Amino acid sequence: MLFRSWFFIPALLFASGLDLCAQTTREYEVKAAFLNDFAQFVEWPADAFVGVKSPIVIGILGDDPFGDSLAEIVRDENVDNRPVVIERYQRVQDIKACQILFISQSENKRLEEIFAGLKDRSILTVGDFDGFAKRGGMIRFVTEKNKIRFRINVEAAKTANLTISSKLLRLAEIITPGKD
Amino acid sequence: MLQNIPIQRKLMTVNLLTSGAVLLLTCLAFFGYEVLTFRQATVQRLFTLGKIISANSTAALAFDDRDAATEILAALKAEPHIVAAGLYGTTGKLFAQYPVNSPAAFPAAPEQDGYHFERGHLAGFQPVMQSGRRLGTLYMEYDMGAMYEQLWRRGEIAALVMVVSLLTAYLLSRTLQKQISVPILALAETAHAVSKQRDFSVRAVKFGEDELGLLTDAFNQMLAEIQKLNATLEERVRERTGQLEIANKELEAFSYSVSHDLRAPLRHVDGFVDLLRKQSAEKLDERGRRYLDIIAASARQMGTLIDDLLVFSRMSRGDLRRAKVASESLVHEVKDAMQGETNSRRIIWKIDGLPQVEADAPMLRQVWANLIGNAVKYSRTRDPAEIEIGCDTVNDEFVFFVRDNGVGFDMQYVDKLFGVFQRLHRADEFEGTGIGLANVRRIVSRHGGRTWAESNGDGGATFFFSLPKTTN
Amino acid sequence: MAPLKRILLAEDSERDVELTMAALEENNLANEVVVARDGAEALDYLYNRGKFAGHANGFPVVVLLDLKMPKIDGLEVLKTMRSDPYLRHIPVVMITSSREEQDLIRSYELGVNAYVVKPVDFQKFVESVKQVGFFWAIVNEPPPGTMKRSG
Repeated sequence: MLFRSWFFIPALLFASGLDLCAQTTREYEVKAAFLNDFAQFVEWPADAFVGVKSPIVIGILGDDPFGDSLAEIVRDENVDNRPVVIERYQRVQDIKACQILFISQSENKRLEEIFAGLKDRSILTVGDFDGFAKRGGMIRFVTEKNKIRFRINVEAAKTANLTISSKLLRLAEIITPGKD
Repeated sequence: MLQNIPIQRKLMTVNLLTSGAVLLLTCLAFFGYEVLTFRQATVQRLFTLGKIISANSTAALAFDDRDAATEILAALKAEPHIVAAGLYGTTGKLFAQYPVNSPAAFPAAPEQDGYHFERGHLAGFQPVMQSGRRLGTLYMEYDMGAMYEQLWRRGEIAALVMVVSLLTAYLLSRTLQKQISVPILALAETAHAVSKQRDFSVRAVKFGEDELGLLTDAFNQMLAEIQKLNATLEERVRERTGQLEIANKELEAFSYSVSHDLRAPLRHVDGFVDLLRKQSAEKLDERGRRYLDIIAASARQMGTLIDDLLVFSRMSRGDLRRAKVASESLVHEVKDAMQGETNSRRIIWKIDGLPQVEADAPMLRQVWANLIGNAVKYSRTRDPAEIEIGCDTVNDEFVFFVRDNGVGFDMQYVDKLFGVFQRLHRADEFEGTGIGLANVRRIVSRHGGRTWAESNGDGGATFFFSLPKTTN
Repeated sequence: MAPLKRILLAEDSERDVELTMAALEENNLANEVVVARDGAEALDYLYNRGKFAGHANGFPVVVLLDLKMPKIDGLEVLKTMRSDPYLRHIPVVMITSSREEQDLIRSYELGVNAYVVKPVDFQKFVESVKQVGFFWAIVNEPPPGTMKRSG
């Protein structure tokens, strides 16, 4: 009996882990698409872009969980005649022009520091780990009932001079600082 | 086409036709426009609605929020004619639908963009776009049935309006046409009365100062003119009649005196010549006796001439006194009166088929006397003489004829035959004054008939005269 | 005994008198004729007055009247005769050249017995006179009171 349980559970874990792996890929494909889509439902101030044809930059800060999916999605994409490009950053200071920033879980501990570094910049911050929005993130991915939802911190967006479309807002759970 | 309809109906018809046509055209125009643009308008509305829905559902589609999408589609409940709507994702799969529990089948996959009419429904697809990117497809199905019903109801209302308007037009025109027709009818009636009763003292009533008033004035003026002319005419006729009567009386007096006083010397001449002849018979020689004969004959001739002239003038003057005359007995009377001349000769008389006529008896006697007298005279050379008197009925005339087998006349001069003092034989051949036939023509023409004659030279002559069968 | 004058002839024209008398003569009636030269004389004879006062001839068996006469014309004589009860029965023959209808009508209205038109032809006139004379003087029964022919 004992023999079977210590064999069985890891197997299970492994199986579910495999599954989990597939799920995770799937999950980040969707999130990638969402990231791309955010561009259509957010308004940046005019000074967020250098010129009319300046691209929309989706930046990934920290570990990249998307794999090829994001690159795949943004390829040939246009939002308001602006091409969409991907940038990867390891440190806040590296961020030059960026409109949407996905902050990876790996940066969890440094989150406040990052936000401070992003103060006065019109960058849409997106994350998917606990407390992200509570601590100042603008959009947090939440998985509910096998569906990816998001919670939006409108205050944070407003502070950054970003206007989030009501169409997006109505899909999301609006949170006020203090609640996650 | 309208020409013979009475004027009131004509006016009303014109009015009704005009208003009817106008109404019809207006209603048709509006209705037609509605119908024509109806479909277009519906499509437009649907499309607009679709645009609103799709604009609202971009986020839901983009972020795969089925509930939100369904909720957005549910807003279509506000438009009761939308029977179905669906959102398809970029994959072509039905993402959200309205109504939620619809039994109807949705299209499996989105087809070409655009709306089309089918089976009383308007259905189609339109893209869901966000910032130039197509996020999915919206499908909507619109029930035209109710719309058609509405359209139909509009049509019914239009028809009702038209009927009511026409009725109003009818009633109005019936009253208003009187403004025009009453004066016209009054004028027409007056004219009719005038012409029927020949009363020119009637005057038409004038209504108003328009062209009809003018017409009325002119009409009345004409009537006054006619009255005046009639009066002057009658005056003139009276004058003329008076003059004629005077002339007639003078003529009568003249012929009276002629008949008496002119004859006396002639009688004396003949009488005393006769006495002379008796008294101086042995003293006179052949030539003397011949001279006396000539004198006597001349006197007698003049006497005959006077008689004929008198008769001729009397015939021209007198009134025709028509009476029923039995021609047969009249002819026999005349024939018998000639016995003096006819007794010594052999004459074969054929008198047959003479009808009763309406004529002036003494005048008609004169006619027969002349014609039969001529027949007797000019057949003197024949033995036996044959005189035929008869009558044929041609159309509505009696055609009498007197035929003899005497000397006849030359047809070349037939036109002169009935002239006054015209003779076609010399006096020494046949005595006569040349008035007899002129008399006959005068009398017959006064009765409304004609006279003519035929002859085949020496074979004899036929004299015809006609009298109308009925006189009015 | 002198023959009784039984024919009264009223005629104003002398020539006509002559002719008429010649005609009567041819018929042996001339010596029975009294000639009046106009209507007045005719009435004088009939009334046994004036020119003819005291004649013993009585009433004539016939009066031959001309129409156109001076003083009193034929129609007047006729009228007078017909309105007088003594003269009313005497036969009157109008002998005249007029064939006018009004003369005929007037004469017959006044009661003339006969109307003879004088033709231009003398021989015819003679014949007419013969017939008239023969009839009235010989054939006809005169009204009672007139003298008959003697002998």
